[in-house]
Amino acid sequence: MARVLIVDDEASIRLLYSQELADEGYEVDAAGTIAEALALLGERSYDVALLDIKLKNESGLDLLQQLVKERHDMAVILSTAFSCYRDDFSAWLADSYVVKSSDMQELKDEIKRLLGRKGR
Amino acid sequence: MEFECCWFNAGRSPLDCPNIGEGEEYLYTSHRKRLVEKCLDCPGFQRDLMGVAEDNPLRQIVATLSEEYREQRGHLQSISAFLSSKSREIKFLHELSQVLQTSMELDEVLSVAMTAITSGKGFGMNRAFLLMTDRERHLLRGHIAVGPRNYEEAWRIWDEVDRSNFSLIELSKEFYRGKLASEKAKFQDILERLSVSRDDEGHIFNRALRERRPILVENAFGNPDLNPELAAILGVKQFLVMPLISRNRSIGILLTDNFVTNKPITPRDMQSMQTFAFPVAFAIERATLYERLQEEVEKQTEANRKLKEQQELIVRMEKMAVVGRITASIAHSVRNPLAVIGGCARSLLKNSSSMEEKKGYLETIVAEAGRLDDVLHEVLSYADSLHPVMDYWDLNQLASTVVGEMKPLVEGEGVTMELGLHGEMPKVWLDYKQISYCLRSVINHVARNQPGVGRIEVITGRDGESVFVCVIDDGLPLTAELKSALTTPFAAIEELGLGIGLPLCKVILERHGSRFEIEDNPGGGSRYCIILQHMKGESDSWQEY
Repeated sequence: MARVLIVDDEASIRLLYSQELADEGYEVDAAGTIAEALALLGERSYDVALLDIKLKNESGLDLLQQLVKERHDMAVILSTAFSCYRDDFSAWLADSYVVKSSDMQELKDEIKRLLGRKGR
Repeated sequence: MEFECCWFNAGRSPLDCPNIGEGEEYLYTSHRKRLVEKCLDCPGFQRDLMGVAEDNPLRQIVATLSEEYREQRGHLQSISAFLSSKSREIKFLHELSQVLQTSMELDEVLSVAMTAITSGKGFGMNRAFLLMTDRERHLLRGHIAVGPRNYEEAWRIWDEVDRSNFSLIELSKEFYRGKLASEKAKFQDILERLSVSRDDEGHIFNRALRERRPILVENAFGNPDLNPELAAILGVKQFLVMPLISRNRSIGILLTDNFVTNKPITPRDMQSMQTFAFPVAFAIERATLYERLQEEVEKQTEANRKLKEQQELIVRMEKMAVVGRITASIAHSVRNPLAVIGGCARSLLKNSSSMEEKKGYLETIVAEAGRLDDVLHEVLSYADSLHPVMDYWDLNQLASTVVGEMKPLVEGEGVTMELGLHGEMPKVWLDYKQISYCLRSVINHVARNQPGVGRIEVITGRDGESVFVCVIDDGLPLTAELKSALTTPFAAIEELGLGIGLPLCKVILERHGSRFEIEDNPGGGSRYCIILQHMKGESDSWQEY
């Protein structure tokens, strides 16, 4: 079973994504801050990470840089309410960029695509 | 002895004197004056004198005195004529200098100078050429010439001038208005050929400038010191080269001749022209400098205009950027709750969730809808800020109300809040809604976002003409960078509806004519102060955005 890590400061997003992705058959963990995410990443490995960009006073792009350096085997999807970061160079490090929407199909398709690329 | 002289001839009346002309009637009654002015030259007197006996010593004495007197009178008349001529010249030069001194435009100065040289009411020369120093190209460049090109034109022009009966100044004005350009064009070929390099040290023009003295060229066609080409260009035997020098600066050369009349140029003409050349050189230099100054002023004006345009463009772009950030903030703040609401609704529609899950989804939908309300409120607050409602309000009452409203929320964050009101606060000219909004935002920011805050104190106070309301926390000190970022309007895309609108508060307060300052609190933590002028004044004028 593929494992997905959700990093988002909004509890409602964490709740919704967790349940929707669990329904899709993934094993899901969620973190509200970068520290929480790093703690989870220290405990186990994940196939895909969903990263929000604006995490209260933190930036998901900082975590992205760290993950790209240290977690080559994990795909990272930037999941954000901002479409403007698509043109940010640091956002190009991510494997995918999905703008948050009430329709999660695009997000689910991207997760499937990235897992398929990994052969999972 | 029978005298012929009227005074001694009883048969003749003084009124019969043949030497008294019209306007000299006063001599009929003044014997002394008539004797001096008329009788000594009168043939009758001379004959009377000759009639005196030769052995009478008075005959020789009177004859000698009479001759000496006439000679001295001739000298006096000559000196008097010279003085009158000089007086006229000084008057003419004075008048000309005054015109030159008041003329700031180069063409106007040149018109006066060239007309003065060539007009019969001025120096009466036939032609005049002006060469001006071109410092960039190191040249003496032919600039303007005045006069006829041939005999026919000469007679026609002089006839016209005679008929017009204009004064010198009127003539120069006439020339300036109507003939300057055509004269330049008429002599263009000669002016081009007269131009000479400043490096040609042997050329008579450069020599005159170097020696700082006029040179009267005689016998131009056979003069070994003169370039034959110059004589051929001018076509005259005699001409005057007058250097124009002002404050040791070579302004140019004035070249003049009597091309048509061939009237000789005398040393006295040369001297008069030299006197005239000083104010002309000075006026030309001043007008040239003024012209350059005008050009620089125009360039400066143009640069200022462009700068203003650029500034306006930057302001417009800044406004657009602010609008863009506000739009992005709104989009972000709406998209998150909408994504959750829509996502939860879709999950509910799937109908596969348990009752517990469904309840959770519905609660989330309600909570997110509440967030959308907050966002809407925030946006409307901003819209309200564009149309402030100013009045005198009690700042203590405003602070008490806001603290009362915010206390449950703040305490929900585990932070205590206290109120300290100043005892004698004046009424303050403000927009109640805006200042309340800003104070709420500051409290919200401190309670929710500042690390290490366990206690908040809201105080009011006054300092001279200013009054303030400050939010003081006991959190960790802020770095200068963070303070700046917190008060830089839209330095980052802000999330609306969460009370982190400090940059927006700053914008609102500044437009309100108030100040927002963040500083270290002496007792630890930070102070966030809204500073207002309590009296209505010019600074209260609302700044359009």
